Amino acid sequence: MQQMNRLLDIYVALQALFALSWCFSDAEPGPVAGSQSNGDRFKIEGRAIVPGVKTQDWISTARILVEGEEYVGFLKTDGSFAVNDVPSGSYVVEIVSPSFRFDPVRVDITSKGKMRARLVNYIKTSEVIRQPYPLQIRSSGPHMYFMKRETWGWTDFLMNPMVMMMVLPLLIIVLLPKVVNTNDPEMRKEMEQSMNMLNPNPELPDVSEFMTKLFSKGSSKSSGGNKGSRSVAPKRR
Amino acid sequence: MAWLVVRLAISVSLLYAASAVFEDQVGKFDWRQQFIGKVRFALFDTHSQASKKLLVATDKNVFASLNSRTGDLFWRHVDKTGPEGHIDALLMYGQDAVVVVGNGRLLRSWETTVGGLKWETVLDTGSFQAAALVGVQDLVKYVAVLKKSAISLHDLSSGSQIWGENLPDSDSVQYQTIYSGENGLVFVLGIVPNSHIVIVEYKIEDGEIMNKKSVEAAWMSSLESSCAVVSSGILLCVDQITQSLYTLPLQSAEQTEMRQIHLQMLDLEVASGFRPVLTSTQPNPAQPPLSEFFLQLSPDHHILLQFKDGLIALLRDFSPVRTNACSINLFSADTGRKHLDTTIIYHMDPNGGKPNRLYVHAFLKKDDSVGYRVMVQTEDLTLTFLQQPGRVVWMREEALADVVTMEMVDLPFTGTQAELEGEFGKKADGLLPMVLKRLSSQFILLQAWLAHLWKLFYDARKPRSSVKHEVTIDILSRDEFNLQKMMLMVTASGKLFGIDSKSGTILWKQYLENIQPNSVFKLIVQRTTAHFPHPPQCTLLIKNKDTGLGSLYVFNPIFGKKSQISVPTLPRPVLQTLLLPVIDQDYAKVLLLIDDQYKVTAFPSTKNVLQQLQDTASSIFFYLVDSSQGKLSGFRLRKDLSTELIWEVVIPTEVQKIVAVKGKRANEHVHSQGRVMGDRSVLYKYLNPNLLAVITESTDTHQERSFVGIFLIDGVTGRIVHEAVQRKARGPVHFVHSENWVVYVYWNSKFRRNEFSVLELFEGAELYNSTVFSSLDRPHAPQVLQQSYIFPAPINTLEATLTEKGITSRHLLVGLPSGNILSLPKMFLDPRRPELVSEQSREENLIPYAPEMPIREEWFINYNQTVSRVRGIYTAPSGLESTCLVVAYGLDIYQTRVFPSKQFDVLKDDYDYILISSVLFGLFFATMISKRLAEVKLLNRAWR
Repeated sequence: MQQMNRLLDIYVALQALFALSWCFSDAEPGPVAGSQSNGDRFKIEGRAIVPGVKTQDWISTARILVEGEEYVGFLKTDGSFAVNDVPSGSYVVEIVSPSFRFDPVRVDITSKGKMRARLVNYIKTSEVIRQPYPLQIRSSGPHMYFMKRETWGWTDFLMNPMVMMMVLPLLIIVLLPKVVNTNDPEMRKEMEQSMNMLNPNPELPDVSEFMTKLFSKGSSKSSGGNKGSRSVAPKRR
Repeated sequence: MAWLVVRLAISVSLLYAASAVFEDQVGKFDWRQQFIGKVRFALFDTHSQASKKLLVATDKNVFASLNSRTGDLFWRHVDKTGPEGHIDALLMYGQDAVVVVGNGRLLRSWETTVGGLKWETVLDTGSFQAAALVGVQDLVKYVAVLKKSAISLHDLSSGSQIWGENLPDSDSVQYQTIYSGENGLVFVLGIVPNSHIVIVEYKIEDGEIMNKKSVEAAWMSSLESSCAVVSSGILLCVDQITQSLYTLPLQSAEQTEMRQIHLQMLDLEVASGFRPVLTSTQPNPAQPPLSEFFLQLSPDHHILLQFKDGLIALLRDFSPVRTNACSINLFSADTGRKHLDTTIIYHMDPNGGKPNRLYVHAFLKKDDSVGYRVMVQTEDLTLTFLQQPGRVVWMREEALADVVTMEMVDLPFTGTQAELEGEFGKKADGLLPMVLKRLSSQFILLQAWLAHLWKLFYDARKPRSSVKHEVTIDILSRDEFNLQKMMLMVTASGKLFGIDSKSGTILWKQYLENIQPNSVFKLIVQRTTAHFPHPPQCTLLIKNKDTGLGSLYVFNPIFGKKSQISVPTLPRPVLQTLLLPVIDQDYAKVLLLIDDQYKVTAFPSTKNVLQQLQDTASSIFFYLVDSSQGKLSGFRLRKDLSTELIWEVVIPTEVQKIVAVKGKRANEHVHSQGRVMGDRSVLYKYLNPNLLAVITESTDTHQERSFVGIFLIDGVTGRIVHEAVQRKARGPVHFVHSENWVVYVYWNSKFRRNEFSVLELFEGAELYNSTVFSSLDRPHAPQVLQQSYIFPAPINTLEATLTEKGITSRHLLVGLPSGNILSLPKMFLDPRRPELVSEQSREENLIPYAPEMPIREEWFINYNQTVSRVRGIYTAPSGLESTCLVVAYGLDIYQTRVFPSKQFDVLKDDYDYILISSVLFGLFFATMISKRLAEVKLLNRAWR
């Protein structure tokens, strides 16, 4: 029974998914691929541009793929291209190069040979955001194939929040007694008062008491600091 | 909204970013080799003396430029596969190469220095016959293309058509060749078989027909092989029956009869049953062909003849010489005399094929003597480039452009390692000998280690460039983590290769002769290297696709030698093969071959094996697929090695056809039996080792009614565990079946996009029988979860990573048409990805559902080393759990390692030894100093 319920749930979920995808397809059914009614063949034209790079350096390794490898075109020496012999339909045109990245474009060809280019959107397949035709495909830069190595530097180490949390209080502990004269009775009174205000619950162990004890023992501060840094170092390698 | 979800998914995926390449790892453990295929046309760039270019067009629809000094590729253009990308002709003039593509559909001109296209024009339909460059007054300006019924002339610099004419009487006359002399005319030669030859003259300027004549030639059936144009426009034909040559000047209007010259007058005779072949050469298209030509009289008998003033003179007779080494000599075409010091001895590889093509580049040296280079292509598609005096400059193994199947085999231990290993295998023979043996083997190890250290030291002193890292089979041994293996590659031409996976060096090659071009191969590893002293053993099943008859070839995968084991003859077509876990006394796994009468042949078939088979026969099942009848059937082995039918599933062929059937990989391990859910309960996986995934496609290809179906069938009982149908979808379907999941990709014809679908099978919260899985005793049907995703790219092939113990998370390796291989974490293909994030799903590390699958460039495992036309990806586990070896093959071969869960079991290669050691030393000294200080302080206090 439980199994049934689960299956039902999945079914409902799938239905919902289906409904969702159904919503995306608008009333306008995009041009239909593969209508072979007449044997007319057309030409997809365009130009690929890589800013700041000479075409000779990259065109020999680049290709134009129309709908996977269904139709293949090559780049001319000036960066322009033409894919011949394409029947009417809707195709994703992509410039493939191992060194530069180009965004794909969807090209629709009607049975009369009218062309239009639009952005590729696999989710809303009938959405039309017009692109210029003949295609002008500009590279968005070289491919970023590689991950960056985590490099180790002193700044990374110091700016680490954990290190900051350990080091700053230490500095306060070490430096405060030197700045403020704790032996002054008035000062001590003031501090106690402020501490009490911060800590209204008298049941809790009193921090100020602990603090004053610590401050009065001036001798142990250096070794305490040493300990602190020692425990930090192996953690933060 | 959807974009938001996608972005969220991507940001989540950032957390799991794994299996990416760091820039400093380039070339460290990966390599790529690029191939072109079988050469159909090759032209040397004779434009300038220093040019190193060699242009080749191959049967793989590749047009490339090779460096003739090194054999490397300058550039390569890979066209569409199939007849539409087929290269019909290659012509070259100066810097331009003109290529006719796709049965005369396209005419392309390439800039050969850069490798860019100059122009491309579409030609009219019609099957391609011939193409020729047309010269006017020593300058080549045009290219003429002859189709079945039309001829067109194009400008060489722009590609624009100058004129195009229909050929007269093209329905009765077969126009076959084209010839242009120096005099502004284009001749088209056609033939009506066994009747007459038609010669049409066209004017170059406007395509006007200047003259048309027909010449009686009742004996002729084809122009192409039996005729050639020599000298200044003399048509020369050879007839086998009358044993004579016929000549006809093309241009003269008055002569309408062919002049007959008997071969007997030259003391020549054509071998009986052989069609003689005439070959002429035209070194410069703007000038007439040479007056010297070759006549082939028998398969290995050529003669060089000269045509002069209407007479034919014999220059040289090349009669066959039978030796093991071939020699190449340069002869002067004018006199037929041999040039001095031009002999190159070509040593034939005993494991290779015979040479069958020669491409010669002759040139004048500085001292006016003649030098030449030659490229030899052999039957087994080896390209050898030779230079005087007989030096092999480079070699290319183009058979590797068409790898059919491959396996990876562990390398053997070195002698010392094997000795150690052998010690444990033997029976104990007393305490003292054991101790002595132990000590001696330890001593050997120490010796080997010292030798290794010495070698390291010795190499380190030499400058780096002089240290050659030559890999030979003798020094290869298994490395510490078993990362280096032997790659066995079977190619379509019937050549086997053994390649070192670390460096890509070809260690051995073996050409199997008499392989039919349409054979299918199956490679089976019967014995690995683990059973020292028995040599490893691989078996290759070669099956003819038409007749189904097969044969076995047994060899040693490490050395490539054919083994001497007697092989069973297979008189009947083989339907199925089965590698059993049963091993014979020599540790070879047993291979069962099932023929079309459902009889079983065992290999090896010793008494021991047959006994074991009898004992286990009742638990040996196998299945057969007949896609033409849509039938899947299961059989059980009987004790007498006959079989009985147990089950049969018929998938009606009128509606759908079986496209592919896949089981799980035998060497796959699954580490965890289930998945821990967010509420701490366990969802157990349905791990049925006998499960088959069957993919069907609808026979109706209309985009509204087409569908893709998937059946999960138990191979033992025939029970259909699950079936699913994807409507408005069509193939090609790529799929992976592993563990408890099936991932498949199809084309959604409604939305025109590729979609991934994943099926996962679970037993539920309880395991029925946790100790052993039996297909016969599983009362509960598994729960099946399914989810689909959009994949924003087309797909060529799909495979999953594989590791030693299956602990590492799985990745899918997707071969894309762009040549990249994407490593996609399986985590993205999890049918339990929730639409709404809950506390539990977050705890399970489930990524929220997003319709579109991300493709990130960091996931391309082969960075810019793209693999053209990737056809298959092979994965193999290594000795390290984190590492999976990957080989992608297609036109190119790429080998690398992937780490799906990063390298968790070894130190990373960027491990900072200096930092760690400096911190450790620092701490050590700090403790020492503080200890000393504390002592001093204590002492002081004690004194106070």
